[in-house]
Amino acid sequence: MNGLQAAIGLGRRELIRQIRQPSRIVASVLTPMLIWIFIVGGFSSAIGQDNTDANLTAYMIPGVASLTVMFASIFASISLIQDRHDGFLRAALISPAPRWSIVVGKVSAGALVAMVQGLVVLAALPFLGVQLSVVGVLGACAGLALISIALIGLGLGLAWVVDSSQGFHGIMNAVLMPMWLTSGAIFPINDAAGWLRIIALCNPLTWAHGAIRSSVGMVGIEGMPTGLDWLITIAFAGACIVLATGVMGRASRRV
Amino acid sequence: MHCIEVDQLRVVYPNKDGDRVALDRVSLSIGHESVALLGPNGAGKSTLMGVLSGTVFPNEGTVHRGYENGLGIVIQTPALDELLTVRENLRLAGDLHGMSKEAINGSTQALIETLGIADRINQQIRKLSGGLKRRVDLARALLPSPGLLLLDEPTTGLDVEARASLWSSIDRIRTKSPMAVLFATHLTEEASKADRVILLSEGRVIIDGTPTELLAGLGEAVLRVRSGSESAVAQIESWCSQIGCPCVSKGLETLISHAKPEHAGQCPRDPLSVTLASPTLEDVYLWHARVGIAESSGGTA
Repeated sequence: MNGLQAAIGLGRRELIRQIRQPSRIVASVLTPMLIWIFIVGGFSSAIGQDNTDANLTAYMIPGVASLTVMFASIFASISLIQDRHDGFLRAALISPAPRWSIVVGKVSAGALVAMVQGLVVLAALPFLGVQLSVVGVLGACAGLALISIALIGLGLGLAWVVDSSQGFHGIMNAVLMPMWLTSGAIFPINDAAGWLRIIALCNPLTWAHGAIRSSVGMVGIEGMPTGLDWLITIAFAGACIVLATGVMGRASRRV
Repeated sequence: MHCIEVDQLRVVYPNKDGDRVALDRVSLSIGHESVALLGPNGAGKSTLMGVLSGTVFPNEGTVHRGYENGLGIVIQTPALDELLTVRENLRLAGDLHGMSKEAINGSTQALIETLGIADRINQQIRKLSGGLKRRVDLARALLPSPGLLLLDEPTTGLDVEARASLWSSIDRIRTKSPMAVLFATHLTEEASKADRVILLSEGRVIIDGTPTELLAGLGEAVLRVRSGSESAVAQIESWCSQIGCPCVSKGLETLISHAKPEHAGQCPRDPLSVTLASPTLEDVYLWHARVGIAESSGGTA
């Protein structure tokens, strides 16, 4: 059985679904942008220094891009619950296609869509004084894709064992929002309090943000060996995919 | 040669109020025939389908699969992506089964013509009626030419015409490519068209035979008697013993097998209604379901 053929077929399906549901894309981009506008607006009035405002505004863009990726990834992984309710998952599971092909199909298509949406947000950087190079954009693409691969993998693993989309949203929000907030998405961890910096350094999303920021010529995580941010981000994505494949490979009657 | 054979299947669903036994030592085998799985809600039909399709894992027992080309399954809800077109859904089904592009196109063309959905090939599933969706779902299940087709209450929610159309489509397909078909249903009229009927009740196989054999088990005629009180039911049961006809009651209704025409006018206590008729599969179903309930509650038929 050609698992790759099944994965490509499932990935094609996810992309077609995206194209035919433009509201999903709009919601994924619009919500983080609104959060960005309100947070920047709030901090500006609190700090009241134009120079700091400009730096903070640009600093937050990679974090907002990752929030966009996070929302898109939640949408991508929650579709597994919908597939189960519709009976589509059962049809896929009784086919000879290996279960990893379901994970690969959903993750690859979901990550592609999430990455493109994240790039839309990053496109704001040149307007905020950050010059982007081709290599920088490619690096940012890789960073966004790795975040998405990790979060979709995590989401698929959870969606496999949770029956309701409400429960899934609750758990994902409880896990991902603290992750995002302590990842240096909206404040530089280099200047954060000691305890918060420790939490941030234990958070794989912090390293993904550092990798994206250093790619686009911004300050990454200070005082750490070069390449460590990429290494941790790749390991995180790999671990989440292994988790999703492992969980979905288990005996189950949740179909 | 059996397409599929199960032996001593036992499936238990854990429950905080006490484990629920969905299948209790079920053994059966299916050859190249159509088999109807009949039974009330909660009898274990869908669980058995799940075990046969490999999506439910039994706690005990074995499943031996002897069919070729895998299996196709149609469940109560069409396993289709509503946002994809008919063609896209069928192509995806082919990809999941590792079929070549030529094979997918060839099978798709043959199936959409046989099932009468050729003119809908480029329509999104969400724009189709329930009956058409079910036919597309059948095409999806049949695309890889499976050796075993499982249908779990495939006509649920369909009107009479759509139901008839679906069954005639299945018959047409079976004449072209022989395969084993196992279908779960609540409808005795659907079950009567099968080569064999299996009645499940409370996770156990109650009866297994051809429709003719099962009908013969109730004799030439069945008497349905509706009484006005419980004491009248008891009196009718006593009368049945005297005339040598087995009977089974539920509530105020008594079903009497092996009845003779003259019995209709001899019922004691002036029943509310008496109906004498040749046995139907519905009578067989009611008879064995009631006997099963009576036995499990300690009573006798």
